[in-house]
Amino acid sequence: MTTESREIVKRGKRTSEPFQTDKLKSSIVAACLSVQAPIRQAELVAESVCHHVIAWLESRPEVTSDDVRRIAAKHLTIHHPDAAYLYEQQPVTI
Amino acid sequence: MDIFASLAVITLAGLVHASFQLSVSVLTLLSGHAIGAQHSRRRVLSLTSSFVFGTVVITTLLLATIALVFNTLFGSQPPHVLWIVISGVMIAIGIAVWAFYYRRDRGTSLWVPRGFATFLAQRAKATKTNPEAFSLGVTSVLSELLFVIAPLLVSAAVLVTLPPLLQLVGIVLYVVVSLITLGSVWVLVGGGRSLSEIQRWREANKYFLQFAAGAALIILAVFVYTFAVIGKASL
Repeated sequence: MTTESREIVKRGKRTSEPFQTDKLKSSIVAACLSVQAPIRQAELVAESVCHHVIAWLESRPEVTSDDVRRIAAKHLTIHHPDAAYLYEQQPVTI
Repeated sequence: MDIFASLAVITLAGLVHASFQLSVSVLTLLSGHAIGAQHSRRRVLSLTSSFVFGTVVITTLLLATIALVFNTLFGSQPPHVLWIVISGVMIAIGIAVWAFYYRRDRGTSLWVPRGFATFLAQRAKATKTNPEAFSLGVTSVLSELLFVIAPLLVSAAVLVTLPPLLQLVGIVLYVVVSLITLGSVWVLVGGGRSLSEIQRWREANKYFLQFAAGAALIILAVFVYTFAVIGKASL
């Protein structure tokens, strides 16, 4: 089973969707840019985080979007704590 | 109620309005998405300015409309029953603010139903143009009408008792004071301050703001009841 075929279960009544590396990467890049990180650093950090999330997904056929966010934030904290904080806060800002 | 007391009530009501956080939350998300999408600082400032302008316009319209309705129905001397109802509404909403304004989760999650919060978050992400940002500002104020109706009602009732020129001063005063928190976030974002700092401050102080808003509403209710109901009845 490839990583892209992992089902991500969404919160509430939204339907599940396959895991998309690009979607995760762009959200990590956006979080880094939101805290004034340079674009190149944001991309490198996003690649590293995606790598860890994909490795974590290998043994899991189905995960929730909250799980993906939690694991991504955990690894993002190592590289950029401010960006990780903002990334974690996004769903609980409103 | 003399002019000084009237303007003081409007100022305190504006502060209560300012302590409600839905517009600030939406502005934080809008700024984050705009910066994350690599828009220029000028573009980010333009979008956030449109958002703030939307909140200013709708707040002014709501206050002026409620004041017009009161003036049409009661003239420049609102009856005791109106002050009693407004005091009751403020106490009820003050207690509601204490009870459930913020959710007991981490972050700054508000009372807003989760489906609607998701809708607002998606709209903040999808906002690309100034008219969209303007309408998002309007929507964020209307979405919080359940709470902001209390300071709007008392301010409108006080406004109709003032002379025409001071009514305009009162409206401007209310709108400016109600913008304090949103305007501060707008200035900080425009000045390049990190959004994580702003969000950390909001998260750290959310229960204080919740307590302050609820307490201010109850104090305002007692003050208005004493001045406008008991004070007039004893004359």
